[in-house]
Formats: sequence, C-alpha cells, structure tokens
Amino acid sequence: MDKFRMIFQFLQSNQESFMNGICGIMALASAQMYSAFDFNCPCLPGYNAAYSAGILLAPPLVLFLLGLVMNNNVSMLAEEWKRPPGRRAKDPAVLRYMFCSMAQRALIAPVVWVAVTLLDGKCFLCAFCTAVPVSVLGNGSLAPGLSPPELARLLARVPCPDIYDGDWLLAREVAVRYLRCISQALGWSFVLLTTLLAFVVRSVRPCFTQAAFLKSKYWSHYIDIERKLFDETCTEHAKAFAKVCIQQFFEAMNHDLELGHAHGALATAPAGLAAPAPPEGAEEEREKLRGITDQGAVNRLLTSWHKCKPPLRLGQEEPPVGNGWAGGGPRPPRKEVATYFSRV
Amino acid sequence: MEKFRVLFQHFQSSSESVMNGICLLLAAVTIKLYSSFDFNCPCLARYNALYGLGLLLTPPLALFLCGLLANRQSVLMVEEWRRPVGHRRKDPGIIRYMCSSVLQRALAAPLVWILLALLDGKCFVCAFSSSVDPEKFLDFANMTPSQVQLFLAKVPCKEDELVRDSPARKAVSRYLRCLSQAIGWSITLLLIILAFLGRCLRPCFDQTVFLQRRYWSNYVDLEQKLFDETCCEHARDFAHRCVLHFFANMQSEMRARGLRRDTADRDPEPPVTPGPQDGLDGGGSGKAHLRAVCSREQVDRLLSTWYSSKPPLDLLASPGIWGGRGGLNHRALTVAPGNRLSQHTDV
Repeated sequence: MDKFRMIFQFLQSNQESFMNGICGIMALASAQMYSAFDFNCPCLPGYNAAYSAGILLAPPLVLFLLGLVMNNNVSMLAEEWKRPPGRRAKDPAVLRYMFCSMAQRALIAPVVWVAVTLLDGKCFLCAFCTAVPVSVLGNGSLAPGLSPPELARLLARVPCPDIYDGDWLLAREVAVRYLRCISQALGWSFVLLTTLLAFVVRSVRPCFTQAAFLKSKYWSHYIDIERKLFDETCTEHAKAFAKVCIQQFFEAMNHDLELGHAHGALATAPAGLAAPAPPEGAEEEREKLRGITDQGAVNRLLTSWHKCKPPLRLGQEEPPVGNGWAGGGPRPPRKEVATYFSRV
Repeated sequence: MEKFRVLFQHFQSSSESVMNGICLLLAAVTIKLYSSFDFNCPCLARYNALYGLGLLLTPPLALFLCGLLANRQSVLMVEEWRRPVGHRRKDPGIIRYMCSSVLQRALAAPLVWILLALLDGKCFVCAFSSSVDPEKFLDFANMTPSQVQLFLAKVPCKEDELVRDSPARKAVSRYLRCLSQAIGWSITLLLIILAFLGRCLRPCFDQTVFLQRRYWSNYVDLEQKLFDETCCEHARDFAHRCVLHFFANMQSEMRARGLRRDTADRDPEPPVTPGPQDGLDGGGSGKAHLRAVCSREQVDRLLSTWYSSKPPLDLLASPGIWGGRGGLNHRALTVAPGNRLSQHTDV
C-alpha cells in the first residue's frame, strides 16, 4: 500500500506526470483484461471471422465509451455545449479543446486492446485460417482434390489443435506460425503508426496554434473550477438556509407555546424569552444567505445560472448587455461592490 | 520502504531528475515488454528476414517515439524554438542543449530493446538463418541446394518435424546465437565507452557555456510550470468572485423588483457589504492572485502576450506603474497585462 502511495505521489508531482500515470494505468488495465479473457475460437467456417471481428472491435468500443463515461468532464462539456448563451458567449475552440483532451485519454485503452490482440495472434489466426495459401505452405498438389467448402471446413479447424485433422494437407504449426507472424507484423505496425500520430500531433501543435491553445486550456480549466465553486457555494447556501429555517421554526414553536401559556406559570419567565434575541450564530447564517431567502428565489437563481451565465467581467454593476463582450474602452474608476470574501 | 521514499524524493527534486525517472521507468517497461512478447519466427524463406529485422527495429522506433512523448521537455523545446522573439531573444544553444538531452533520454529504451534482442539471439537467428553459408557445416554436404535452403529456413523452429533433433540445426543455431551475442556485447561496450568519454571529456570543452545552457533550459521548464500554476490560481479566484458576484446581482435584482419580503423588520441595513472588511484594501492573497486581470478580454490578452512577447529576463528593468504588489489601481488596468508579469516575483 505504501509503495502505491509513493508511486502515486511521484506521478502527481506535476500535471503532466499525472496524465502519463493515468495513461499507463489504463494501458495496464486493458492488457490485464485481455490476458484474463479466455479466447475461444469456434473453428467453424462461417463463424470464425464473425467471432474474431467481434473480439477485435467490440471491446475497444466498450472501453472507449467507458473511458468517456468515467471522465467527469463529459457532463461539463455537454453542459457547456447546450447552455443558452445568456450574458456569456460560447467559445467553440474551448469546446473543441475539451472534447479532444477527453477523447485522447479515452482512446488509450482501446488502442492497447487492439495492439495486444494483434500481437498475441489468436484472433487473427481464428479469422484468417481459411485464407491460408495451401499451395505455398503445404502439399499444394493435394488441394485441388477437395471442394472449396470441404477445404474451408478443414482449414477452419486450424486454431483448434485437438480436432484438426488436416496434417496430410498442411501442417498445423506451419499455418499457425505463418498467420501469427503476419498478425504480429500488423500489430507492431499499428503500434508504430499510433505513436507516430501522437508524436506528430503533440510536437507539431506548438508550431501552429500555441496562443489559441493557451487560451482554450485556461478557459476549460476555468469552466471546471467555476462549476465546482458554484456547487460549493450552493451547498453553503443550502446549509445556511436549513439552519435559519430550523431556527425560525423552533422560535415560532417557542413563541406559540409562550402564547398558549400566557396566563400560566411561564408568564413569569424572563421577558427575554418572549422576544427571542437571535443568537450570535443566526446573524452569520443570515449573511450567508446573501438575501436569497425563499424557494422561489433559489429556483430563480438556479434557472438563471443555467439560462443566463454571467459575463466574464468582474467588479462592475452593469445592466445586462448582450453577451460578455460589453465595451472595451477605458472605464471610469469603479466602485467595488462585491466584497464577499468568504474563503471557500 | 524508507529507501524507496528517499529514491522517489530524489527523483522529484528537479525537472531533470523527473525526466531521468521517466526514462528509467520506460526502460523497465521495455524489459517487461520484451520478456512477455511471444517470439514467433515464421520459418519460411523470405519471411524470416523480414520478421527478424522488423522485430529488431520497429519496436525500438515505437519506443523512441514514446520516449519523446513522455518527456515534457520535447514540447517545451519546440515551443521555445517556434515562439516569436518578443522582449526575450532566443538562444539557439539552449534549444540545442534541450534537444540533445531529450534525444539522449529517449534513446535509452530503444537501446535496451535492441541489446536484449541481440543478447537473447532469437531475432538474429530468425533473420539470418537463410543467409548462412552451408559450406561451413559438414552436415549439408549431401543435400541439394533447395533442400539446404528449406532446412536453413526452418532452423529457428526447434519443434518443426524436418529439423527436430538434428545436429545440423543445433550447429547453425549455436553459430548464429554466438554471433548475435558477440555483436550485442560489442555494442554495449561501445556505448558505455562513448558515454564515459562524453561524460569525462565534456568539462574540457566550454564548461561555462554548458552550465549556462543547463541553467536556462531548467529555467524554461520551471517558468512554464509556474505560469501554469499561476493561471490555475487566477482561474480559481476569478471563478470564486464571479460566482459571488452572481449571487449579489441576483439579490440586488430581486430587491429592485421589490420581491424581498419583510426587509424592514429583519435586516434593516442591506446586507450588500457585510463580510470581512479586508475585502478591498490589499485583500490578502485573494486580490493579489487576480492581479487586476478581471475580464475575459484581459485574460485572453494576457495569454496572447505571454506567447507572442515573453517578458525580458531582467527583473529590475522598468519598475513601471505598479510599484508594489497587490492593491487595485485602475490605471494599471489600461497597461498591457503582459508587462506587469515581469514584476511578479512572489513565487
């Protein structure tokens, strides 16, 4: 456990290492999944190709979708994409950046699955055993004696050693070696191609759109943080709301009881109880409410947050002006109005 | 456990150490990859050489590219190379230094693969079994040339029925393995001698220039990291104030519409400016983080300027309008944010 914690700390030392670490972990998980999977070729002419194609393509798709689903930022991207512009314009470059970075991370596990499948060779062997060139590898002279369906049925059994009965035509090991060799060559070519693509994308990017890239990175990070802070502020507000609501309830109860026993013994109780002085904490809680004190107001606030996001311009009380690009000239000295510095 | 902790701390101590750590990790991954890879020579005449040589050269290429990808400095180097000059002139020596350090580290994993493959011998045997001269071995005296070629092609496959338990196969296989290991060890020796000479003789040439370049390449890395961290802090404060602003606006909007009930008896004074009074003056670190960059256009301008016109490497130049830290001066907002960055040394 301690070892894992330290490896984790090392990988977290900077953002870049952390991402590399995540990529490594996903690659390992994918490879582990493949080795745990029990490949089972049907060894029948029509079914081999379908089974192999399924094994080669379906798990990568599932892994890709899983990678997207497990990424918390997917909902953030969807939200940013579908929100009404409100007072803040939408920037397609930011959306593109967010989508690209999520897709890149989600593509790692599928790529590793495909690479490991090809390098292992069982899938390829199962799919293409009926396409082996018998005339080159085996006793080509005997091949014409068989009808194509017979030949196909015979060759389809190559992946299954216990039922293969075609050694007189083609030695099983020869066919297996041939197909596995091609599969491994394809696998390594695939690996080389993907690393080359990744390298070109990563290295060539700074040559072109570096300034735009910095902006997109900043704003996508901003959107993430803003969402988290809004949730935290709402939670704080809800807590304060609940506290004040409950306090008021108890005060009201107390008041009712007082009224009910006005002629009773409690009439002699200290007057302070009848007119409840709010305890010290209540004032603080009321302040935290920031004036949003009823259900309708809260609902309006939340609707407005979604429908009409505030402009990216701080420190001004301006009337709503289209989107966040209101004016750019020098402004007269502004009054600082927002002074809420509750430390989140 | 203690020594692992010390080891990890050492590797985290500087960016060069981090790169060394990643390089070692990649080498370890290569070893594991090689040992778990199932070598499968096709034992067919033309395919052997292709497979053997392909396996000797393709994975190293892929590992080299992975080494470049995993290294942060490769991207930094390209950025430093392609950036506009701005206020900071470019030094090709630094770029060359970064390039060579990146290449050296990226070459470690491919070399490990090649050496492992040569010392193991399977690749070499597979690739060159068909090119062996049959004259060297007595067992081929009474075989026709085509039979010899067929036999030689099957030498890498021990279990094949044609060559099973054949002393000729074992002889050829041993010969090729011996050759492969000799080449492998020679390359290892050569590399180590080159590395040793390079390390020892470097101080004889331009040591001061080397020290400068190492310093400035480390600086570029750290500066980029700190810029990213500062942007994160800024984004956090920006978002915080934006959210609070939003709540305040909601409240004033509602008051403007007269939707607040019973304000008179509950809160006689509008609770617009409660809260800690240190909000405006100096504002602790909250305000200082924002550094008066408070709108989308300003942030965009800041980031563009950072890229197109990096500040000069001169901390004492032009004190500028902002004599101190923090504090909100409306005049400062009309100055291009990029210039102000050079004054901020509160790292």
